[in-house]
Amino acid sequence: MHPILARGSRLALYLSVWIIIGVLLAALLAGPGGLAAAQALAIALPIALTYAFFCLSAWYVARSTPIGPTGPIRLAVTAITSSVISSAAWLAVARGWLEIFTRGSELASGRVFLAVRPLIFGFGVLLYLLSLAISYLLAAFERSREAERRGLEAQVHAREAELRSLRAQIDPHFLFNSLHSISALTTADPPAARRMCVLLGDFFRDSLALGSEDRITLARELQLAERFLEIEQVRFGDRLRVSVEVPVDGTVLIPPLLLQPLVENAVTHGVAQMLDGGLIAIRTSVTDTRLRIVVENPCDRDRPRRTGTGVGLSNVRSRLIAVYGDDALVSSTEADGIWRVELTLPAERAPAGDRHVSGGIGAELRS
Amino acid sequence: MTMESLRIVVVDDEPLARAVVREYVAAHPGVEIVAECANGFEAVKAASELSPDLMFLDVQMPKLSGFEVLELIGRSVPVVFTTAYDQYALTAFEVHAIDYLLKPFSAERFAEALTRARERLAAREGMPVEALVDANRTNQTPLERVLIRDGSKVHVLTVDRIDYVEAQDDYVAFHSDGKSYLKDQTLAAVEGLLDPARFVRIHRSYLLNIERIARVELYAKDSRIAILRDGAKLPVSRAGYARLAKLL
Repeated sequence: MHPILARGSRLALYLSVWIIIGVLLAALLAGPGGLAAAQALAIALPIALTYAFFCLSAWYVARSTPIGPTGPIRLAVTAITSSVISSAAWLAVARGWLEIFTRGSELASGRVFLAVRPLIFGFGVLLYLLSLAISYLLAAFERSREAERRGLEAQVHAREAELRSLRAQIDPHFLFNSLHSISALTTADPPAARRMCVLLGDFFRDSLALGSEDRITLARELQLAERFLEIEQVRFGDRLRVSVEVPVDGTVLIPPLLLQPLVENAVTHGVAQMLDGGLIAIRTSVTDTRLRIVVENPCDRDRPRRTGTGVGLSNVRSRLIAVYGDDALVSSTEADGIWRVELTLPAERAPAGDRHVSGGIGAELRS
Repeated sequence: MTMESLRIVVVDDEPLARAVVREYVAAHPGVEIVAECANGFEAVKAASELSPDLMFLDVQMPKLSGFEVLELIGRSVPVVFTTAYDQYALTAFEVHAIDYLLKPFSAERFAEALTRARERLAAREGMPVEALVDANRTNQTPLERVLIRDGSKVHVLTVDRIDYVEAQDDYVAFHSDGKSYLKDQTLAAVEGLLDPARFVRIHRSYLLNIERIARVELYAKDSRIAILRDGAKLPVSRAGYARLAKLL
């Protein structure tokens, strides 16, 4: 849709500009045509308003030959050709109107027309070129607004995805089950009950603190995962075995709680579904540019397929896409009863000055 | 009402969760734990060997869920579910569970469940087996695995391992890898539960996994036999052949 035709108010404004142009044209015509002011206006206004609609076509010309991809020569040729054509057409309209207007009056249309022809034609070309220029401006303006809107939309989507995944991070049933374990321990083993309370408190405090940050070190994320698994080990006893391979360089930065849903899945959909339990193995490797994290757990081959690992994994995936775009990879495979999720993402590091901040808190947690 | 001794079985894959029940039971002299089970298989075995009065049954367990255990033991043992998940409560009452305890639960709430169980037992309230099974099944169509109880043992057959199902008097036999498993069900009921895009009724007495067909041969006028990949031969009726042709 043409931006001027799209709304009545815009069209009214546009036509009022053209009335002014018509008055200007009348003033120009009055001299060489030897016309009275009223006659000049009567001739100029209708043809000016007609040309107003001719000039609307400039928008489509501008759209079909956008400035970027079109070469300057083609651009100039198109502009000149289109303005000459429309001005010539306008001239024909002007001539016709002059015929009708002068019929039955003492004015000789031929003479008047000859006198004003170069003026109308030149004016027409100029006006069309002006319209073309304005159309290009409008198009550029619209494009930048569209880009801005899309950018905002993407931001909102990314934020929403992040919030959604954060909400899904910690399964409340984990808390209920842990409380039930504590309830059992209060009489059977009070020191163990107290230890479990402390573990749970630490875990939730850490996950809240980490969740509000933009990036955390890999070391902190791994500590949180270990703490979570420690609590789950109280519940599952020796059915749950854990191996976490801490990288030499734990200062790499990742979005917080990225591993958490994967580790929860590994327990809920993996080890908890095995009669004899199994081992959850977390391995990480860091190069200068890439970080790779692998989470492996045994899985029941005869499990009903619908109780998949869907939500947690797809949350991780959409979060990585929101943060890194194509630069991050998530893959999940099942082979020989082992479920394996692998994340590969850019190895981000804090600028040298900031490093002590993120590393410092990690060191404090470790103590 | 006389307080007869109540013989109960506690089923939970978490040792600490069983410990909670054990501790609460200690306060009720008329209640005796006859077995503790760490999974559904042990629960089915205990139900058939010990015929307890009541079972405390966890929902989330490896291999067999609490609901699947209930499906296997039928109404032979009244059940109180214990779980951290409240979303199964409705299903639990659909399958006529006596109570539904949300973890963590208090000793008072546990005592209430025991009272309800005693009342139910005193009233000898019966429930139709079919209703129980149906209610359990409504939310899992098409079936992904078949549970077969064989005495105190349980077989779990994922549907892709089933070659064909055969009607045998009042039972059906599930054939898989050259073995067969009997289940107390009708072939029509099995047909209704399995995915119609994968299992086709080729004969009054046979329901076939179409992935197992090697070829179909004309045997006599109007009668055909299906030859399976493992060489087994099954009769195909005219109507069965029409259904088969539509799927292939």
